Amino acid sequence: MDLTPRTSADNAPLAPRKRKTTWTTIVVLVAIVVAGGVIVSQFLTSAIDYYCNADEVGVREGCEADRRIRIQGTVDEGSLESAAGSTSFSLSFNDVTINVVYEGDPGGIFQECIPVVAHGRLVGDTFEANRIEVRHSNEYMAENGDRVTDAEAKACSQQTG
Amino acid sequence: MSFSPVTQASKGVGTPTTRLIGLIAIASLAWVLFGGLVATPPEVTQGESVRIMYVHVPSAWVAYLAFITTAVASASYLLSRRRSLGFDRVAGASAEVGVVFMGITLVSGSLWGRLTWGTFWQWDPRLTTTSFLFVTYLGYLAVRGLGGTHHQRAKRSAILALLAVLEIPLVHFSVVLWRSLHQRASVLSTDGDVKMDGLMLFTLLVGVVAFTATFAWLVMHRQRVLAMRDIVESRKLDVAIAQRTGEGN
Repeated sequence: MDLTPRTSADNAPLAPRKRKTTWTTIVVLVAIVVAGGVIVSQFLTSAIDYYCNADEVGVREGCEADRRIRIQGTVDEGSLESAAGSTSFSLSFNDVTINVVYEGDPGGIFQECIPVVAHGRLVGDTFEANRIEVRHSNEYMAENGDRVTDAEAKACSQQTG
Repeated sequence: MSFSPVTQASKGVGTPTTRLIGLIAIASLAWVLFGGLVATPPEVTQGESVRIMYVHVPSAWVAYLAFITTAVASASYLLSRRRSLGFDRVAGASAEVGVVFMGITLVSGSLWGRLTWGTFWQWDPRLTTTSFLFVTYLGYLAVRGLGGTHHQRAKRSAILALLAVLEIPLVHFSVVLWRSLHQRASVLSTDGDVKMDGLMLFTLLVGVVAFTATFAWLVMHRQRVLAMRDIVESRKLDVAIAQRTGEGN
């Protein structure tokens, strides 16, 4: 450990360090954090709402039909079809239904009656997706006979926010 | 000057209290292992992948707890009349353990996301704010490693800890404030309704106990190791001063 006293270039002792008040530092740091929080909050609210609900497409700001968007809805029962490596289905939210086409297998726990988020672009009346993500609810029910039927029926009728 | 704590290091830093906490941690972790892999049923939608929850949720809880502990210890250091470095060492130890558990949360969540959502990662509000929290506390540990005296270290890291902890509400409520791919809370939901099968819930709560006991055990040991490190550094300083004093004679 080197304890040699520090000196300036002309070998004169250094001037004593100015002592700034701790409170000034704290207030400045808090102000920075609050400002950062406001910025992040505004940014998240305007740009990182992760998805638009299906009934907001073309209605809500940021959900314009002519741009790349993410839409959420529940996969309609009986709408799922897979052929030649392509998956098509319809998803609904608040009685608004959008047809979706996806090249490939969505993966995860994708199935009918489950909420999904589709990334892509609306072309005509069809949403051409290049990524599908499955949302699962915050309900955890054990897998057993009768409950499967109940849960599926519930999943098809629910609309998550 | 006596340095008995250093010379006693070979005996370890365990006490009857830490041994009791260690036993609680081992017993509860054993149940989590058995309950999580064998006793609990698959989930109706997620199937077997739900078992990741028994690690993911408790580790997230412990990471929150660790960072709050760091903030409380930091505030205690700043507000205490004696400015005890013991508070600072608890803050540092807790942050270190918290970062480990936050890392476990991110990794386990990523694996769970791949199995359920179909993707390892997305920049959605919960995942983004969690990774931001993780990086913040990595920064906190980096700040603790800067030079200066023990009290300089304690003071600057305490201020940072009090600011960093403000991120936790943002992380926790991000799924309520914004639309997120991540599901909302099941146990600590805002409507107070627990939406989970009984055995799953029991195993999850045992997991919380297990991880909390593990956290306490690790922090108690780690802060004692940090105390010894501080003593060693002080001793080196004393030796260096003695050498310089000797040069003058």
